[in-house]
Amino acid sequence: MKRISGQQRLWFYRILTLIVTAILVHILAVWAAPRLIMQVLMRGPMAQTLNMHNQAAFPPPVTAASRTVVMPSPDLLYSVCVFDLTAGPVRISASPNLKSYWSIALYAANSDNFFVINDRKFNGKPADLWLVSLSGSSDTLPVPAGAQVVVSPSTTGFLLMRVLTGNYDAEKAVIEPARHTLTCTPA
Amino acid sequence: MRGKPSVNRWQRIGIGFALYGCAVTLGLGSAWWVLKKAPWTIQTVRVGAWETSLLAGSAHADLYTRAAIAANGLLALGRDETMYFIASQDDAGHPLRSRCSYRVEGVPPQARWWSVTAYAEDMFLFDAPNQQYSLNGTTARLDASGHFALTTGGQEQPGTHWLPTPGDRGVVLTLRLYNPEPELQAAPTSLRPPMIKAIGACA
Repeated sequence: MKRISGQQRLWFYRILTLIVTAILVHILAVWAAPRLIMQVLMRGPMAQTLNMHNQAAFPPPVTAASRTVVMPSPDLLYSVCVFDLTAGPVRISASPNLKSYWSIALYAANSDNFFVINDRKFNGKPADLWLVSLSGSSDTLPVPAGAQVVVSPSTTGFLLMRVLTGNYDAEKAVIEPARHTLTCTPA
Repeated sequence: MRGKPSVNRWQRIGIGFALYGCAVTLGLGSAWWVLKKAPWTIQTVRVGAWETSLLAGSAHADLYTRAAIAANGLLALGRDETMYFIASQDDAGHPLRSRCSYRVEGVPPQARWWSVTAYAEDMFLFDAPNQQYSLNGTTARLDASGHFALTTGGQEQPGTHWLPTPGDRGVVLTLRLYNPEPELQAAPTSLRPPMIKAIGACA
């Protein structure tokens, strides 16, 4: 039986190391991808331009030039906010008073959509959400009756308000003031 | 003779760096390929030419689904709020190309509101000269049998809602259903999928 030489053994371990390292890098990259993409979204050029750290911002309607987030919907008017619970809870409110669809969705730092609520749930009433971190307590917060406490799985994350606009030019006078009712500020 | 061990050491270091470089390149390249080019790695349900992920936006999404959604459909909503059906081929199974014309026809889906949007393969909107990027539940005109219709392609097809797709690129059609009916949420295959048929020869 032919014996394996030292050189062959060395190359066996080299190739084995290459394969194991490649697999580890692959898994790490797949794990990190949504987190990195969210970081770019929350700290990148759009976030800097719109100044949306614990503050609502109102990007223009979607066009072919909108290339910050993939698959932008041309039928929705977006409002955004990067929430940061490091210094304490964040209060989110909105009162669009629209008959058509609108929603507020919250995304964790790993891109999970951990909370969403739409106009049907509010039934014409204003939205009042108090966002707290997992380690934070809502017991001492002055949460008014009718407000909802939401626990975020991550300290930072992204708020996306969607307002339906089947025909923006025709509806602009109504939906622009409606979406500008969104606030997102430290409580 | 005294210089040989030193040369061997540098050789080994060089081989080590080259191997680790290959490993990192392989790892990153395969991750990119899986997320952007191999959509079968995420759990989807197919209805006609359309596919939907049951775990988009969900905290229960697995590693690959979460990453693929972030790379191809960031900020998606869960299916109790919105369902996304994606088509990158026609009913005959041919990849959608922007230089070809297609007719998309169907009945309004079981949802509060819906839209069909044409994206380029990079998942951004085409630079449509008429700034029409979608057909939706507000703008769609139904025919006598209750069907909507649209066409995509470089050339306008008379008498239909035209979504221009200039250039020669891949096309991805997205059917969004806002507040889908509970029956559809529970059984996405119950969707009556809009048909996607090529019109004539590609330009």
